[in-house]
Amino acid sequence: MDGIRVGKRIVGTQSLVTIGWDNIPKVEGGAFKCLFFTWFQPAVLFGLVAFWYYAPNSIAKASTAIWIGIGFRLVLQYLELRFPRHESWAITWKELATDLFYVGVSYTMVNLAENYIGSDVAVDAIQSSFEMDKFAWFTALPLLIQAVLILFIFDFGQYWMHRGMHNWYPLWLPHSVHHYITQLNVHKGAVGNPVELFLIGLGIGGFFDFLPRAFLLSGAIGMSIGAYQHINVRFNSPRWWRFMFNTTEHHSLHHSQDFESTRSNYANTFIIIDRMFGTCIDGEAELLGMEGGRRMTIREQMLYPFTEGWKAYRERASRPRFFDDETSAVPAE
Amino acid sequence: MPTLNAARPFTAYLPRKSSPLRFLDWIWHIRGTVPLGAAQSSEDAFGRLDPLFKQPGTTRAQSGDTLTFEKKNQLAQDKLSVFDSGVLQIEQAATGPVLRYHLVSRALLYCFLAPLLFLGVAQLTVALGERAKPTAEEKAKAEAKEKAKKKDALQLNPVDKFLGAPAPEKPDEKKAKNKKKDEEEPPKGFSPKPAYVFAGIFAALYVLGRILEARLIKRLFAKALA
Repeated sequence: MDGIRVGKRIVGTQSLVTIGWDNIPKVEGGAFKCLFFTWFQPAVLFGLVAFWYYAPNSIAKASTAIWIGIGFRLVLQYLELRFPRHESWAITWKELATDLFYVGVSYTMVNLAENYIGSDVAVDAIQSSFEMDKFAWFTALPLLIQAVLILFIFDFGQYWMHRGMHNWYPLWLPHSVHHYITQLNVHKGAVGNPVELFLIGLGIGGFFDFLPRAFLLSGAIGMSIGAYQHINVRFNSPRWWRFMFNTTEHHSLHHSQDFESTRSNYANTFIIIDRMFGTCIDGEAELLGMEGGRRMTIREQMLYPFTEGWKAYRERASRPRFFDDETSAVPAE
Repeated sequence: MPTLNAARPFTAYLPRKSSPLRFLDWIWHIRGTVPLGAAQSSEDAFGRLDPLFKQPGTTRAQSGDTLTFEKKNQLAQDKLSVFDSGVLQIEQAATGPVLRYHLVSRALLYCFLAPLLFLGVAQLTVALGERAKPTAEEKAKAEAKEKAKKKDALQLNPVDKFLGAPAPEKPDEKKAKNKKKDEEEPPKGFSPKPAYVFAGIFAALYVLGRILEARLIKRLFAKALA
């Protein structure tokens, strides 16, 4: 395959990818259907922002957010069943059960572990050892600015963590298994090794004090943008949306079977972070996965980072130390 | 799981009469029959089913009226992906020839067992939560900190006041609410509720999968053989 030049790199040499918004298919059908799939995403985003901004204190609480989150996932699940983007990504009972297992692990075991070794624990330890308070000035900002900042600060850290995972082998090992998914579905974001689920949840938000409502707002904004990363539904996302935010198209390219394409679109929510650092590629892919689309079992996903890590360590340990290896000493140009 | 071999009779794959698994294997084994046309031969029937077994990770063997298959790392797009092995046999029933199948699914077994795992996690969470409960001294310290903080109650930005966003709860209201909560609920981060919810989700998923997959496979075979 010849591939396509995007900036300084050539993508699509290993598997088919589509580059450029003009080449990406649009939702086909009646006027209502097209209108629905064009405005669904912004309507949900602005609707939720308005709800959390104005909801009375008796409603604006975490339990409401959880129920909205569950309801929203059910709606997306229905859209996936009714309007699949690709037949080859169709959800099956086995895929759903597998995906929900990872969601369960994330909400139970990973959350439990975070009580002892998560970033909030580290932030608390730093704050108490330096006797520093949270940055209280944060609460004086307008609610929406607080909410966007909470999300942006987390996403900025997450961008570099994710980029690090694609560039440094010890971090790649726990993340690699997430790239063995061969299709995108609503709950696929949770598929991965628990070590990765833990790493991706690290953030520095704990240093800031914020109004509870701002936190709920940021959660709602994050959900109503990030939920479409792994989904088998086609949307006609408005131009401003796909300029600012990560979309299924961006993320499908990140999961492509083409290696060079996977090294793009790292941000979780704000694709503009990728645009800032030159890693954004606007496009999509249908053929996903690693090793030509090999599907990993749950057992292998759980063990792979450790078995591969051990293999790499043994291989490295058996190599001569670089100062013993005279033949490899190549003079500088 | 037994290694399947086309040369063995179909009944060889059924659990022995003395085995206690005989009463339990319906959990992850799916059995059924699909009627064939009166003149349909085994060759013709297996020929029609052939595309279903030409999938990556699938090995199959056919001997006379029996076809056995095994799957490893099957793709999600594989129509038989939920099954790991199975035996299909053409038999002569009173009503005419039938395809009798016996399929084994580890996914169904693991889904059946998943609620136990999550119930175990819930118990672990409760046990760890008990240990994480703050001591009287820690509670007093936290209360003192809260009191100091109380002086500067959270204020809305003037922009939000102008736009009509509700003001944050007053510390007194919040404290009264939290006190009630503290007495009832486990410490933050140690609620077993999510684990119980997922135990329930997997119990429901199992029932759904056991019924749905049995129907889907029957429909798939019937459609392929028609």
